[in-house]
Amino acid sequence: MKFDSVIVGGGLAGLVCGIRLARAGRRCAIVSSGQSALHFSSGSFDLLNALPDGTAVTNPAEAVAETIRQAPEHPYAKIGAERFAALADEAAALLSEAGVATEGTTARNHYRVTPMGELKATWLTLKGYVRSEDTATLPWRSVALFNAAGFLDFYTKFLADGFQRMGVACEVHTFNLPAIETIRKNPSEMRSANIARVFDREEHLEALTAILRRETGACEAVLLPAVLGIDRYDAVERLSEALGRPVAVVATLPPSVPGIQTQIRLRRCFQQAGGAYMLGDTAVRYEMQGDRIAALYTNNHGDIAFEANDYVLATGSYFSQGLVAAMDGVREPLFGLDVACAADRGAWYDRDLFAAQPFETFGVRTDDALHGLLEGRPVENLRVIGAGLAGFNPVKEGCGAGVSMLTALEAARRILEK
Amino acid sequence: MTKQFDVIIIGGGATGAGVARDCSLRGIRALLLERSDIATGATGRNHGLLHSGARYAVTDRESAEECIKENMILRRIASHCVDETDGLFLSLPEDGLEFQSKFVEACRAAGIRADMIDPKEALRLEPSANPAMIGAVRVPDGSVDPFRLTMANIIDARAHGAEVLTYHEVSDFIREQNRIAGVVALDRKTGEKQEYRAQVVVNACGIWGHEIARKAGVTINMLPAKGSLLIFGHRVNNIVLNRCRKPADADILVPGDTISLIGTTSSKVPFDEVDNMYVTADEVDLLLREGMKLAPSLAHTRILRAYAGVRPLVASDDDPSGRSVSRGIVVLDHATRDGLEGFITITGGKLMTYRLMAEWTTDLVCRKLSLAARCTTAEEKLPGSREPESEVSRRLISVPVAQRESSIYRHGEMAEKLPNGDAARRSLVCECEEVSVGEVEYALKELDVNNLVDLRRRTRVGMGTCQGELCACRAAGVMAEAGKYCVRRAKEDLVQFLNERWKGMAPVAWGDTLRESEFTMWIYAGVCGLSNQKTE
Amino acid sequence: MTEQSENNFEQCIKCTVCTVYCPAAAANPLYPGPKQAGPDGERLRLKRPEFYDEALKYCLNCKRCEVACPSNVRIGDIIQLARIKFSRKKPGLREFVLANTDLVGSLSTPLAPVVNATVAWKPVKLIMDKVMRIDHRRTFPKYAFGTFESWMRRQRAAQAAFPQQVSYFHGCYVNYNNPPLGRDFVKVMNALGYGVQLLGKEKCCGVALISNGLIGQAKRQAKVNIASIREAVIGRNMPVLGTSSTCVFTLRDEYQHLLGIDTSEVRDRIELATRYIYRLLSSGEASLRFRRDAPKLRVAYHTPCHMEKLGWSYYSIELLKMIPSVELTVLDSQCCGIAGTYGFKKENYETSQRIGEGLFRQIEASGCDLVATDCETCKWQIEMSTSKRVEHPLSILAAALE
Repeated sequence: MKFDSVIVGGGLAGLVCGIRLARAGRRCAIVSSGQSALHFSSGSFDLLNALPDGTAVTNPAEAVAETIRQAPEHPYAKIGAERFAALADEAAALLSEAGVATEGTTARNHYRVTPMGELKATWLTLKGYVRSEDTATLPWRSVALFNAAGFLDFYTKFLADGFQRMGVACEVHTFNLPAIETIRKNPSEMRSANIARVFDREEHLEALTAILRRETGACEAVLLPAVLGIDRYDAVERLSEALGRPVAVVATLPPSVPGIQTQIRLRRCFQQAGGAYMLGDTAVRYEMQGDRIAALYTNNHGDIAFEANDYVLATGSYFSQGLVAAMDGVREPLFGLDVACAADRGAWYDRDLFAAQPFETFGVRTDDALHGLLEGRPVENLRVIGAGLAGFNPVKEGCGAGVSMLTALEAARRILEK
Repeated sequence: MTKQFDVIIIGGGATGAGVARDCSLRGIRALLLERSDIATGATGRNHGLLHSGARYAVTDRESAEECIKENMILRRIASHCVDETDGLFLSLPEDGLEFQSKFVEACRAAGIRADMIDPKEALRLEPSANPAMIGAVRVPDGSVDPFRLTMANIIDARAHGAEVLTYHEVSDFIREQNRIAGVVALDRKTGEKQEYRAQVVVNACGIWGHEIARKAGVTINMLPAKGSLLIFGHRVNNIVLNRCRKPADADILVPGDTISLIGTTSSKVPFDEVDNMYVTADEVDLLLREGMKLAPSLAHTRILRAYAGVRPLVASDDDPSGRSVSRGIVVLDHATRDGLEGFITITGGKLMTYRLMAEWTTDLVCRKLSLAARCTTAEEKLPGSREPESEVSRRLISVPVAQRESSIYRHGEMAEKLPNGDAARRSLVCECEEVSVGEVEYALKELDVNNLVDLRRRTRVGMGTCQGELCACRAAGVMAEAGKYCVRRAKEDLVQFLNERWKGMAPVAWGDTLRESEFTMWIYAGVCGLSNQKTE
Repeated sequence: MTEQSENNFEQCIKCTVCTVYCPAAAANPLYPGPKQAGPDGERLRLKRPEFYDEALKYCLNCKRCEVACPSNVRIGDIIQLARIKFSRKKPGLREFVLANTDLVGSLSTPLAPVVNATVAWKPVKLIMDKVMRIDHRRTFPKYAFGTFESWMRRQRAAQAAFPQQVSYFHGCYVNYNNPPLGRDFVKVMNALGYGVQLLGKEKCCGVALISNGLIGQAKRQAKVNIASIREAVIGRNMPVLGTSSTCVFTLRDEYQHLLGIDTSEVRDRIELATRYIYRLLSSGEASLRFRRDAPKLRVAYHTPCHMEKLGWSYYSIELLKMIPSVELTVLDSQCCGIAGTYGFKKENYETSQRIGEGLFRQIEASGCDLVATDCETCKWQIEMSTSKRVEHPLSILAAALE
């Protein structure tokens, strides 16, 4: 199989890179070993919430220079402070063109509401999700908060508590439908995605509308868990119209409906641009010619190789096995690229799970053009993007989505400019 | 206002709970005070091995005899806490067969059934055993769940009139001349102090008994010995595997509930470490290396976590230097030993002999109270073990299989008390261990649960493969909804619970265990936005 | 990255992704779902066999959980192996009839017109429904009058004349129900310069035997097939090609994973015809000439579940794209709900149709003239449940050849 570019890894980074390349007319394939970490999305995309030293960031565009100064190996350093804002805007535009409508700007973080009622800084939030411009207020003074009766992955009590601390009156309700009762018969499968499928059907959304109309008192807005459809994207708008007041949703514990929807739309966008998306396949072997990768072999395709001018590694970190930790070190399992990692296992961890974990900053080393390094030498036609890169902490710095999308666009730019 | 009892027992481990039960069954009004939760000390931090006594047969005949007797008793009275797996003592090429004949002879002399079997037969019985073995002996080992065992004793003690107060720390003794007349206890939940009086106070605090004794004004020479263990992700073996040699480090692999565990290491630690022990990388390496000799497949098995317990070694009274320690049961009547009336220390021994320890202690309590009541704990079955599992299963037939069998496995016939009539209560909080909303509600209502860690000990929430990733938030949600605590406490509890899990995972966090940890961190610190207020 | 079979279930980190993509759990609350039935359940079953839940029979064995899993857990295999190991339900007459596609086919083809008319007759359907619990709303695949094998035997000399040879695992469906597909395959291979031979002895691949719990028979048939395949691959250095994605998947993977039959020597030489043809065409070893006069045909390609698992829809799609007259849409990959014999069972009929709903909607909305797919049971289900005709990509290709 011959392509211009082959991308290994079909999550946020791989898809954004693939879309960018395919839209520029390149023949692309994405090989993805299972579904991606997008399935655990919060409904928002973070760009930069804190400096490596922990200082909170309000303006990512401004703070990036200091980030690079503090962490010279940070992936943002490969992009450079000058191009950072432009790439971020390009990423936001790409999402929007793919049908992933978001709100937020690169010059100022806003706050999303978490399923546990915390406010967390972020960059872009999906349209229809609860967000706030500061940590002290919501756009409303009173809300009605609904949960599906017996749904265990959404915490109305926690949310109500968080809202009350912001001075927002919150009444809590539950809703129930025969179709939800049916799901509940199964002790384990009353999950966000299964509830969401119920609302893909028009009659169930209408039944929910009737319940909300009946139950909602004099509040300004109605809030729900993000379970209002997988195939449909109009539920929030429809409910809002029917109820005559703002309706917004809050993400749940996994699986994440906003994440699944984002994955579906980005994949569709990639395929519509002519890309081939191969799910459930794992790249296992490659051939090199000099400093270039000549062919890539996967489990499913056996002797039929993927041949391309450019290869992109977007396999993520430990979760998606882009990095594999063994007792004696961390490696990149496909190409065996150089990995930045502390030698002594004792130095990988902090005893507080919620502190900055050193192992999070381990990852693949690249040159400034994002070429993966093999024993110190750049592989000429291999770029590394996304969560598998070394030098940053996605959780503590709040920059996971940003690093994925911006390095993806940067790699695509370099490939296209060649 | 001072409250009056016949006896006060300090320490909510198996021994303390056993004493409380024994006293209550003999009509003695007992109060049990535990500074934290039940089974938090050595009780809950060992192999959970139902010793046949074989391990001690060669070196300590007395312990061996005690073990086999108690083994048979526990099978009868605590059947829902016991897995009758049997055990194999494997002779590996490096061990030779010399020890084996001595071993079998000693077992038989101690009254322990010991059958020499062909290695091929041993491998058929236990396919995970090292095929390189040159000999095998089958003995009546088993496994016992220390949390369930302790809880069942507490439940029965309460049913017979005992009062049990967890999170109550003894801050002082009430001393009247040369006798202990009671204690002052701090309620750690409210911060209030309260006086409790009794004719006898029993110190059943394990290694912490050293400090309690000091507070009472007597000295016991205890030496904390740390033992580390590893928990594997699933039940690798269905028969306990031991090495047929002189007892050494990491030579027992025990199947316990859904997991298997290997242990232990053994090292002396200073007293200031006993409340917060970390398993070191060296210990992990040793446990893994030795464990693989018993069951080579451990090399490819996920390690869920590592933990350590402290065994209280008691120096013999005639040797204050502490070099000669007793591993047997030690009952100290401080009246005869130190001239302090009304104070007893029970220590030494092992989980296996908790009942016997309780019996001897209660016998002494009876003598002090001038009572002639007979001990019945060897005959009276514990709650949960009073009906055959199959009977209970038949009555709960409408509950989905895995959930039904799990709840019966954990609670015996008490599983019928779980609210499970409606679908919402059958929803799973913990999917790895099949813990339903109903089971959590039951534990909150009946089993004295104050936080997620307590809940884990009662139900196995968070003890499965994901170590709380999916279930901790659900459980905290159910607890908050049930009015157990406010949202702020719920979040603190979540953070604490996850950090307690992480403490065990970090020493073994590579491979899938690290993937799991990274995922957990994304969910709680990322998606949920929780943070540790204590360290921020 | 490993798929090491030992303790594979432990690679599950409880991320729940599989549950999002399980068609059965979404449509049937009695099914515990892939996570519970698979890795979670496995751990409990290792503790005690009593934890086995007969509700695992509701698994479609579509393997979509495996495709979705980011941890390489062989969830579907775990579930099927548990059924094989622990199920105490014995297969009945219905299971025997549905699973023995081979036997029923060879009894039916000589009497095809009678059999077809009879099983389409309402009273018979109702009796089958009542007595055997085979749902009366199902349309049965029609039997051909005369088998593909008997046709092939008449072609032996002509086929032997080609310079290069492949062997063909035609499967029960081509043999008894749709010999024209087999003839289309032969036509395309001949056009590429390849002659087609039958295997020494071909039995049903056994996919239905496995799913209906007839494991002993499945193993016996698998051994016969692997012996014939070995003879073709190793003895005569010929690849073995198939036109059914399910047969090929079963031979390649299920034999090894579920039946414990060693296929390592031949596995890589068993492949789908579309993949083999793609390789010939893309490497320039062979070429095809298409008719210029063919009318425009709007085709929607449906990826069958086992094709999704094989990861080979790319080849069928690329072949269809080569046909000048074809205007191709690729449908989002979704299960059609039939899952072989699953949808024929009365208790599964409604689940089956509910699972397929999304796909049926997509198909109707696509505005296609016909649907292309590599699986025969998907074809039955889609033809019964939508207004569209369904063809195999090779039949479309054969019709477009000059």
